[in-house]
Amino acid sequence: MKITKIVSALALSAAVSTSLVAADTVKIGVQAPITGKYANEGQSIDNFVKLIVDEKNAEGGLLGKQIEVVTCDDEAKAQKAAVCAKKLVNEGVFAVIGSYTSGATQAAQTTYYRNKVLQTSDGTSDDLIKKKYWTFFRNSFPNSSQSDFTAEYMVNVKKYKNIVVLSDYSSYSEGLGDATEASVKALGGNVVFRGKIKSGTQNFTATLTKIKAMNPDVIYYSGYYTDGGLLRAQQKQLQIDADFVGGDSNDNPDFYKLAGKSAEGTVLINFPTPEILPYPEAKKYLAAYKARFKMDPPSIWPVTNADGLRAVIEGVEKTKSFDTKKIADYIRTMKDFPGITGPFNIREDGERVGAKFVVYKMANDGTKTVVSE
Amino acid sequence: MDTFLQQLINGLTVGSLYALVALGYTMVYGVMKLINFAHGDLVAFSAYVGLTLFTQFYGSNALSLVNIVIVFSLTAIIVAFIGVLLERLAYRPLRTAPRLSAVVSALGASLVIQNGIMLIWGPNMEIFPADVFPSTSWNFGGVIISFTQLVILALSAVLMVSLYIFINKTKMGTAIRATAIDQDAAKLMGINVNRIIMIIFIVGSMLGAIGGLFIGMYYRGLTFDMGWLYGLNAFIAAIIGGIGSIPGAMLGGLLLGLFNAMISGYISTEWAETFTFILLIVILIVKPTGLLGEKTAEKV
Repeated sequence: MKITKIVSALALSAAVSTSLVAADTVKIGVQAPITGKYANEGQSIDNFVKLIVDEKNAEGGLLGKQIEVVTCDDEAKAQKAAVCAKKLVNEGVFAVIGSYTSGATQAAQTTYYRNKVLQTSDGTSDDLIKKKYWTFFRNSFPNSSQSDFTAEYMVNVKKYKNIVVLSDYSSYSEGLGDATEASVKALGGNVVFRGKIKSGTQNFTATLTKIKAMNPDVIYYSGYYTDGGLLRAQQKQLQIDADFVGGDSNDNPDFYKLAGKSAEGTVLINFPTPEILPYPEAKKYLAAYKARFKMDPPSIWPVTNADGLRAVIEGVEKTKSFDTKKIADYIRTMKDFPGITGPFNIREDGERVGAKFVVYKMANDGTKTVVSE
Repeated sequence: MDTFLQQLINGLTVGSLYALVALGYTMVYGVMKLINFAHGDLVAFSAYVGLTLFTQFYGSNALSLVNIVIVFSLTAIIVAFIGVLLERLAYRPLRTAPRLSAVVSALGASLVIQNGIMLIWGPNMEIFPADVFPSTSWNFGGVIISFTQLVILALSAVLMVSLYIFINKTKMGTAIRATAIDQDAAKLMGINVNRIIMIIFIVGSMLGAIGGLFIGMYYRGLTFDMGWLYGLNAFIAAIIGGIGSIPGAMLGGLLLGLFNAMISGYISTEWAETFTFILLIVILIVKPTGLLGEKTAEKV
């Protein structure tokens, strides 16, 4: 009898203490490439999340609970992303920010959906919303809106005759490349070559030499800066006299470092970069980011992820619950949420609507100027 | 025709890089019958060492020839030292152990170097200074060749010819060849086998170091795991040419570079690796010892 009492008392105290811990904190996951070639993007996403979470915690937390950030490094690889998804679900997070690449995001999506964990990502592949998971919403714009803008610029503004479209083999880049090819053709433009390069192989001279014989007016590349910078350098080295237009993921300071002097004249199409965002939220958060981490975010992507997190926080506070279904439904009904990257709405299928792109031109010292909006 | 010649130049440049790296694999294999999996990572390490030397010592100013020679020699010496250390720590204690133990040790050493690079230089992409050599290039009737490419091709050729002479015409080279044929017999003839193995690691690492510097100068983006990519390709090159054979590694490297460029240029980049491995399989079926590999009698 006595023993049972002691045991039950122990059990009770154990139960109380665990529920106390559970009541005090709530976990948010970050799934991002902390190491590997996109490490500076991944680390910045993690930093931005921590900045916003610390701010919230200092204000007393979320519905009175302190937020704890759990970070998982997916190295921008699909296999690692699947492992991260399981790990974060086991950790008991209610929402996940990330990942940076569409491939890693897609690999984790189903796990989060099955476990009713919210996920928001900057991935721009159109495939990300095809499954219509209620748990997922996108904090950037899809490839299709970018491809329409790019095609308009190349066909109607610059009036290029012979257009070459290159991508790598990733889900994002291939998607953007295909979408751009389709958009160019829809506007009556002439795509003379649609090719793919293998990301990370560093040597693109074979493909470029093949292109040279086609006398292109412009080479459009829809992949990442790590390859884009080299592609531009090797294009110049082979004296291929064509303009170079890069998709959003080429917009990173390393593009200029890799291309060196060849970067001059490169045109990049992207969201407005963080420093030219005109919104009050942008000025506030980017100043806070710079003060804490002693540098600017490398690109717009950590900032759109921060917006995703802010939308989730808003959802929790407005619905006064951690019920992910309720939060997801609320986020889809928000009207012009004042994001750092501009006011936004989330459509029923999880798409961010209201795209805005900018055309930049690079000078020979790596600075960019906006040429058209 | 321009296009073809241009692809030829593209292929030869990459091919000579593969050949320089492949020599390290093949020399170690020839003498020790060991595949030194850490060699690719040593190549990556040398690119990073070169990067640090170039940026630390000379800033971003234009480099004089003397500076370039100093950086090349310093890098070669540092990497040779690491190569010798590698042999002492990871391979020598296992020389009499079953061959599999040494292979596992090599894979471990590869991970140690790779992660060492990550810890020293960080996981982000590092970028080699632009224009170590002047960015001039020449146009021969539509075929473009840059100064850097020319240096890579010329210096690789010089290095390979000197290595060939060193192995075939000098006393030391004779000792190396003797050790490769039979270590025990070489010992009985008064050859210091430990010293020969050390020399093999010094020469192999130095060639790899030059290859690593060229990779840095030509492609400029360095990642800590890049050794894997170049190591794998160079290893295939060594096998195509006949692992253990020095002219074989040179031929294999050039062939692999050319083959890759032609497939990427005329078929598709999607198929480049597929065809490379088909080539490897065909060569191994037709001539299991590789193109220039010597037939060795089975010692029972």
